[in-house]
Amino acid sequence: MSESDVIRIRGLVKTFGPTRALDELDLSVVPGEVHGFLGPNGAGKSTTIRVLLALLRKDSGEVRLFGGDPWAEAAALHRRLAYVPGDVSLWPNLSGGEVIDMFLRMRGAPADHPWRAETIERFQLDPTKKGRAYSKGNRQKVALVAAFAAPADLLILDEPTSGLDPLMEEVFAACVAERKAEGTTVLLSSHILSEVERLADRVTIIRDGRAVESGSLDEMRHLHRSKVRAEVVGAVPDLSGVPGVHDLSVDGPVVSCTVEPDGLPGVLTALTAAGVRTLTSSPPSLEELFLDAYRKDPVG
Amino acid sequence: MTGLGLLTRFSLRRSRVLIGAWTAVLAVMCYASAASINSLYASPADRVAAAESINASSALVALYGPILDTQSLGELAMTKTTVTYAVLVMAVAIALVRRHTRVEEESGRAELLGGLALDPRAPLVSAVLVGATASLLVAVTAALADIAGGLPVAGSLWFAGSWLGLGLVGTGIGAVCAQLSANARTCGAVAAGLVAGLFGLRALGDTTAAGWLSWLSPLGWSTQLRAWSGTRGWVLLLDLATAVLLVVAALAVRARRDLGAGLVAERPGPATGSPRLADALALNLKVHATSLVVWTAACALLGALMAAIVPGVGSILDSDGARQMMERLGGVGALQETLVAALVSVGAVIITCFVAMVVGHGGAEEHDGRTEEVLATATTRSMSFAAVALVALGGAAWLLLVTGAAMALGSIGAEVSAGGVLAAALVQIPAVWVVAALALLAVAVRSTWAVAGWVLVVAFFLLGPLAELLRLPGWVAGLSPYSHVPKVPAESVRLTPEVVLTLLATLVVLAAWWRYRERDIG
Repeated sequence: MSESDVIRIRGLVKTFGPTRALDELDLSVVPGEVHGFLGPNGAGKSTTIRVLLALLRKDSGEVRLFGGDPWAEAAALHRRLAYVPGDVSLWPNLSGGEVIDMFLRMRGAPADHPWRAETIERFQLDPTKKGRAYSKGNRQKVALVAAFAAPADLLILDEPTSGLDPLMEEVFAACVAERKAEGTTVLLSSHILSEVERLADRVTIIRDGRAVESGSLDEMRHLHRSKVRAEVVGAVPDLSGVPGVHDLSVDGPVVSCTVEPDGLPGVLTALTAAGVRTLTSSPPSLEELFLDAYRKDPVG
Repeated sequence: MTGLGLLTRFSLRRSRVLIGAWTAVLAVMCYASAASINSLYASPADRVAAAESINASSALVALYGPILDTQSLGELAMTKTTVTYAVLVMAVAIALVRRHTRVEEESGRAELLGGLALDPRAPLVSAVLVGATASLLVAVTAALADIAGGLPVAGSLWFAGSWLGLGLVGTGIGAVCAQLSANARTCGAVAAGLVAGLFGLRALGDTTAAGWLSWLSPLGWSTQLRAWSGTRGWVLLLDLATAVLLVVAALAVRARRDLGAGLVAERPGPATGSPRLADALALNLKVHATSLVVWTAACALLGALMAAIVPGVGSILDSDGARQMMERLGGVGALQETLVAALVSVGAVIITCFVAMVVGHGGAEEHDGRTEEVLATATTRSMSFAAVALVALGGAAWLLLVTGAAMALGSIGAEVSAGGVLAAALVQIPAVWVVAALALLAVAVRSTWAVAGWVLVVAFFLLGPLAELLRLPGWVAGLSPYSHVPKVPAESVRLTPEVVLTLLATLVVLAAWWRYRERDIG
């Protein structure tokens, strides 16, 4: 958490009438990272992004974008970023190519960068079609091409792959990886966990407008239960008394359970005493971390 | 037909405000026309004189159609409603059918329905039923309004029949035009052009020796029905047959094309954008480019047409009734100058519709998420607001200039000065700006209030006649900015109202701008 953060949000509150959409939300994105922003529909991901883009006015809290005030300096800050919404709406009488170039010029980027032609080619987009003729996936591609067609310091991607086919999701992942290699910072909001698990360096999980988990995947894994499955030679030991053991089940000589990080030594001691034939221990997947964050009772 | 009833009820529900508002406006027009006839012309002799004077002016006949029975109270009272305002009935039907067919296809919502257990013909048939239902509703309320206004019952019913007929023909035109292009705006423009053509055909037939031309236009049939005396009821069968033929043709085309496709293939656009398309204003101009060209041409035509009417007014100078009518239209002054002022004030209201469209479109841009995409670039809130405001305010001034210039060119040789005619159009600009500013303020407060522009146009347009009819105090009519515009060239240009209106518009635009910069987008 330093002044150099590309995005730094502390205690952000945004209400819509009686609804508290963002409730003391914290988020920090450091330079050069791909930051996964996770939460189900309605958790407040898009609202956060819309406050960052000065489309919504915050009620309270601190929001910094490139160290500046995203509301007061919106236009200047937007020159350094590109944004892809989850549901792209195009102008019926403008061709895809016209929209791409217009977005590029509007953010002060060159419309003739070599990446433009290359990205259109990779996404297999026909830029001569008019807005009304594009399918949902193709509208999404128009915004993605505009975002990837010229250098930017920050990409804000709000569920950017909705409507894309698996081949195009691959192209998207490759583009993100390349931009990251160039030093671009990426805020990737998504509910497609495999995509985030693959691309993101760090992840923030939000629930009901506040961040419930934040950190690198490794850090988060260290804080969560691992899955342990063992087949023993002798009598199955009773693990139910070992602290930190959950979801215990015994099937003949096979015992499986989930174990909190602190409980692992105790479990291993008990299993070793019983004589282990096979032992697998797997760290929680992002999906399990995510579901875990949502299984807990709401805090405060 | 599976799903037809459900779909029709759903569409009627979605359009209930549109149908209700138009029905009310048209009923008010009918009632105002019917109820004012006795106060306008005290004796039967006055009415005959007025009717004869209208028939004597080919310009007025071109605009309203002839009065076939000069003795008839109803026919004189309904002069404007029989043909001219009846165009609005066709417009409602066309708008409704377009809204529930092509607009649905363009937005992709029709595709959702395509997956349901629906007969593929059901959406079009249901849109036709919506158009027919709205026409029937308009006709019934028009009949009631006429009867309430003191006109004979039988005539009122036949007159309502002529509106129903035109509504059905409009429904058919809407159904056919909705098949033509994948672009809903193009479909609407073709339909509007078709109605203008039918109006022109009738105007030509009514004013020249080629009277048979009027029989080629449904708008001509409405006069020929003779709703008020010596009625020829079979004329309504022409409307019905035309409507059925059009709907059958539309269904045949629909059966042969894909969902979302038009008969005319969409041309591909450029693969790269013009360097000029780099800011919000350039974008908004591009979005409205076609409209601006069409409106400019239409205003030039409107100006020329109005100029053609002006010299005709001299031929009815000898009639007391006509003179009274003209004075009521425009106040004091020479007849031609009064007529110019009256015509230009109608033109100003029409041009305000362009403003309402531009501002309303700005609200739709925000609602659909396109404004968000623009504001995520280096575009400031002020630039985004200015893009809409400049096209609305600048467009209004430009269109009034075009109308005035065309009218001035057309009146060279008439007894009014060309400069006076041009000035008559230009003094309307501040009034239109006030309406534009109020519409901008509504959108700036809430994007979903974008329809406010249309509500204001209709409200201000009806305020004057209504206030007169209901004998409301003077300040009520004074709420309309149009009422403060000096009636140039009949009156001289007075600076005070012009400056006050301009200041008012400026203040309201500034308030809208301030509000738009502060509020949430979306």
